[in-house]
This record gives sequence, C-alpha cells and structure tokens, in this order.
Amino acid sequence: MKTFTKRQISISGAVLVLLALYPLAVSGSFAMHLMIMVFLFATLGVAWNIMGGYAGMFSFGQAAFFGIGAYTSSFLFTAYHVNPWIGLLAGGVAAAAAAALIGIPCSNLRGHYFAIASIAFAEIVRIHFNNWKLIGAAEGLTIPMQDESLRNFMFHSSKAPYYYIMLAFLLLSLGVCAWVATSRMGFYLRAIKESHDVAKVLGVDVVRYRMAAIMISAFLTAMVGTFYAQYILYLDPESVLILPISVQIVLVSMLGGAGSVMGPVIGAAILLPISEFTRVKLGFKGSGLDMIIYGTLIMLISVYQPQGVWGILQKIGRKKK
Amino acid sequence: MGNLTRRNFVIGGGALALSPLIVPRAFAQAKTIKIGALYPLTGNLASTGLDNRRGVELAVEIINGKYDLNLPLARTEGIPGLGGAKLEVVWADTKGEPKNGQAEAERVVTQDHVVGIIGAYQSSVTKVASQATERLKVPYVCSDASSPTLTERGLKYFFRVSPHDGIFAHDQFRFLKDLEAQKKQKVQTVAVLYENTEFGSNVGKEDLRYAQEYGYKVVADISYTNNATDVTSEVGRLIKASPDVLLHASYITDAILFTKTFKEMGFNPKGMLTMAGYIEPGYLPAIKADGNFIIVRSTFALDLAKKKPLVGQVADLFKKKYGIEMSENAARSFMAPFVLAEAISRAKSTDAEAIVKALQGTNIPGDQVIYPWKGIQFDPKTQQNVHATGTLVQIQDQKYLTVWPFESAAADVVWPLPAWKSRK
Repeated sequence: MKTFTKRQISISGAVLVLLALYPLAVSGSFAMHLMIMVFLFATLGVAWNIMGGYAGMFSFGQAAFFGIGAYTSSFLFTAYHVNPWIGLLAGGVAAAAAAALIGIPCSNLRGHYFAIASIAFAEIVRIHFNNWKLIGAAEGLTIPMQDESLRNFMFHSSKAPYYYIMLAFLLLSLGVCAWVATSRMGFYLRAIKESHDVAKVLGVDVVRYRMAAIMISAFLTAMVGTFYAQYILYLDPESVLILPISVQIVLVSMLGGAGSVMGPVIGAAILLPISEFTRVKLGFKGSGLDMIIYGTLIMLISVYQPQGVWGILQKIGRKKK
Repeated sequence: MGNLTRRNFVIGGGALALSPLIVPRAFAQAKTIKIGALYPLTGNLASTGLDNRRGVELAVEIINGKYDLNLPLARTEGIPGLGGAKLEVVWADTKGEPKNGQAEAERVVTQDHVVGIIGAYQSSVTKVASQATERLKVPYVCSDASSPTLTERGLKYFFRVSPHDGIFAHDQFRFLKDLEAQKKQKVQTVAVLYENTEFGSNVGKEDLRYAQEYGYKVVADISYTNNATDVTSEVGRLIKASPDVLLHASYITDAILFTKTFKEMGFNPKGMLTMAGYIEPGYLPAIKADGNFIIVRSTFALDLAKKKPLVGQVADLFKKKYGIEMSENAARSFMAPFVLAEAISRAKSTDAEAIVKALQGTNIPGDQVIYPWKGIQFDPKTQQNVHATGTLVQIQDQKYLTVWPFESAAADVVWPLPAWKSRK
C-alpha cells in the first residue's frame, strides 16, 4: 500500500479543518446548500469511479441506484415508520441486490455496450417506479416533517447537520475508494479495464470482481439517495431517477479525472458551483446563457484536458519536482 | 474565424461569464418591498416560465404605477399601507427541478430577504419550495400550480388563489348536469383517460370519484405514459367502450397524438372534456380544424372581456407591452402579486405573521379579478381560495370560446359534437 507523504497529510488535514469550520464562517443557507451539493455529487462521483474509473464499466445508469436508495428509505419510513438510518442501510442493500441482478447478465459487456445496457436498466427502473402505485407512482412520496434530530435524520433550523453528515458520507466513500484502489481488488479491476481476456488468462475472476465493484458502487450511491430524500423531503421519479442525474455523475468524475481517488471530488468542487452560480446569476434572465457557459466549460476541458483537472494538477506537481 | 486562438476564446468566455456581475446595480430605492418569484425560466419548461413571468411583471407594474383599473392597489402608487412602498420582484430560476425550488426559495428568503414568495408553476416544485418557506416562516401565495394535494397538507404559510385539478374535474361534472337540465342533453356513460404523472393520475382519481357521486357509469378507465408514440390500442379500447363523454387529462404532445388518432380511427363520443394539453399555445397550430368542438377547462379566456371589461383592459395592456395575446399561463400568475401586496398593505407591516393574518382575512370581490369568479377568500383550514372555479371553453372555428358557466358564456356550446365523417 502506498504511503502518504508528510506534505499530503498536512494539506489534507488543513483542508479538513477548513471544511469543518466552514459552517461557522458563512451565513445564509445558500452557501451551505452549495457545499452540500458539492459533497453530494462528489460522493456520487467517487462511487461511480469505483466501477467506471477503476474497472472501466462506464455506467450511465447510476440514477437507478440513487433512486432505489431514496425510495427504499422513504417508503419504509412513510409506510412503516422505519427509522431513516435503518432505511439507509436497507436502501443500500436493495441497490446492491439490484446491481447484482443486473450485473450478472451484463458481466461480459464491455465499453459502450455496458454504457448502453446501464442506460436501459435505469430507464426500466424509472418507468417501473413511474407506474408502481404502492410507492406513489408518478406522484412520488412526501416525507412528513418530524422533530429535528440526528435520530430522525431531519433538521429544520439549520443546514449544518446535513452539511456534516454529507461530509462524513464523502469521507467514508473516499475511504472505501482508496481501499479498493490500493487493495488487490484495485489491481484486478485495473487489469480487467485494460483487457478482459488478458485478466482472465492471468487468473483474475473477472465476473466476481466486476460484480463486487458494481455492488459497492451501488451501495454508496443508494446511501446518498437516502440523504437526498431526507434533505428535500419529497421525491418523485422525475427528480431522482432521470438520465440527467446519471450524466451529471459521469461528468463530475470525468471532469475531475476518472480513475483517481480525488478526481470526482475536484470535479464536483468545480462543476457544482459553476452550475449553481450561473443559475443564480444568469438563470433568472431566462436567456439560457448560464447553460451555454456551463456547456462551453465542459467542452473546453474535455477537448484540451481529457485526463480531467486532476491530470492538470498532477502535471504541475511533476514539473515542480 | 481563422484567428480565434484558444487563448482569445478562453478570455472571451471568461469576460462573457463575468459581464453580468460588473453591471452596476440600480440604486436601491428608499422604500421597496421584495417578493420572490420562482419559475422554470430555463430548461424544458422555459417558454411556460417566461409566460408566467410576463403575467407577474405586468401585475407589479400595475401595483407600482397608477392605473385606472378595478384591480387591488391599481389606482394608487405602490403599497398604500406602507406609505406607497414599491414592490420589487427577485426572480429565481428553478429549471423545473424540485431541488432547485427548495434551494432558490431558501436563497431569496435568507439572502434577498423577500417578505413573500409566489409561483413555481409545477406542482412538484411548488410542493418542495413551500415546505422550505414553511420552515423559514415566510408566506407563499401560489396562483399557478394545480395539484390538489398542495393545499391538503395543513401548511400555515401557504395560500392558493387558483383552482386545483379537483375543482376542474368537479366543474366538468357540473357542466354535464347543467347540460342535462338546461339543454336537455342525455349523458349516461363516461370514459376516463389520463396521462400517468402527478397531474394526470390525480385528475383521473377525481374524475372517478365525481362520476360515482354524480351517478355516471364509467365504461373505461385508461392511463398511459405521456411520451407514448402510438395510442391506437388506447383509442381502440375507447371505441369499444363507446362512452357518451370522454374525459381526458393530457399534456400537449399526447393531446395532439390522441386527436389525430381519434380522427383516423373515427372515435365519436357526444362530447370531449379535456384539460391542459388542449389549451397550450402549440395545440391548435398543430391540429388546426380537427381541434374543433373539443371542450377544455380554463381559468381564463380573452372573450371574458365581453362580460367583464377589466379582462379586456388588462389583455390590451399585456398585448401593448409584449406584442402577443395574454395566455392562460400569464393570466394565472398575474393574480398572485395582487393578493400578496394587498395583504401586506392591510397588514401595514412586512412581518410574516402579520401578513399571514392579513391573507387569512383576504376578501377581494369578484369584479377585481380577471377570472369569472365570485372573488378571493381563503378557506380557514386549507387556505385554498373558496371561490376559485374554472370555465370551460370550446374550440369553435379554431378559437377558444367560453361556453360554461352558461351565464358567462360567450358562445353556445355545440353538443353533441359532429361525427368525423360528417365534417367537411
């Protein structure tokens, strides 16, 4: 396992302290909302990275796992008063099970065929949920307001608890991703990404490790889904299961740098503020200019820096040495 | 553009991004009251959001200026209860997504310190945004989202001026009864057809409930996805069921597809009572004369001007300002700023509790609204306007004409509608 340099440790320590103090320094809920969204998409990106970045399974269907997580906890809570924290675990398990179910038939699909299959899967889930009366069909679920407490996973007077919970989720998923990346599994996944056949010949159980990557990714993604539901307190298929969410997750990871632990975090830290600020500053004009600027930036980065921002940072780091 | 270097391109793009930030802000007036308006100003629903926005803009202009119109606060400048303070709108773009509805409601309240919120158009976004304002204790006056559940949640800070889909569904059945009583037309069976998202399935539910209450037999109950590309099997089932009346809740693309399929397959009920899609500005241009005789629910129609001069005056102002006719969407959003400002004026305060109390006491007479209502008064429990009703318009010669309630009708209803074969 690679060891961290002193410099890396001190930088990440300083960043963590700054992030921990952030809620005390800012006023207004929008600044908090922005950071929560950054953490949320960073976590989704990190989860995607485990299967997309390391194992080369480009999933454009993450919204399915996100939605399954959000729906499982919300349905258990509204129908049976199951505590959302337990619902969070249940959602993770449900999403991992769904991932296994879809993973088996897709286990030999490569490259864009896997991407296409993942879109199809997510659309099937969306359409199914859209018609499933038990979970509110197209009308969605409204989560009734409870007293605010950590136990209820619900806070009204301040967004700070949401902020810290989402930050904790991010750190957790980063830990999982770093573990995957540096463990034997990480090397297997990279070998699979380079070539299925070579990996197979070398004795890697391709199906098993691909399945493991999909299931871990699905579990983490579903966990964020539950957070989203508890944060917004309302969900319908249109807000958690649609393709643009899956695309946003891929964008965040690709922009920051797929296949590196911190890549999606950097991607989210760049993309989300741009998208939120352009909406706030320009969206109200109704001209669509915000979307044009947003799209232009994505194009510039993908044309000139396909390794993502993390690639740029690494290049700079290497030059300094 | 051979000499557009990468560097120039980036610099240009950067400058473009910063330009709105360096435009100097207008000098803040001594007395302005800010309200927040949430609409889908970009994204799929941008054209609708823009329509809503025009309605609100015109309303605020009338409130702030001096107009000889019989509307609340029109003849005075600004808000009289607060010494003529001007109303200022803080626009917020939801992009049509619930999560942005929440974020933008919170942002305009905590950063711009708006004293009230209007809008959102979509029911799902309104639901989430009004939850946020409930937490922040800020009044929300909605006049454009129509899901019945919005006013069934027991929220203290949320008020709705416009009718909801349950009221619209009820109107259709009242129309059928009136038709039997006054025009001696016999109706026994209905078919219920609806798209399956929040809007359509709620209407479907209400239709079934009222059909039972009013004693009509439901011979078909059909739901479908609104992005369907072929509806021949649905229409086939309708033909087989052969209802006297079709009740249809649709968006625009499915409304167009169904109309074409009705004609192709020769589906001939005595009447078609429809919602939403059939009155969108894009429907008639796509379908032309085949849309004739279809009846649509509406809160507003330009021909109301015949009975209500105020409607004509407002519609003229609108046309002068924007160069287009006032649409139903613009007309719906138009009323919310008046209701909110009138309550603030009576409260003589921008304190949220005082405004809510004033809103609860709202009593705007029928001659001061641009719809055919008896006025605006909120139900003490649900805070839904008890006088809100819809009208039914029928497409005749490719124009929407008010045909019900019969007392405010601009044209006689054509019933039963002629069979496709007998149309020229």
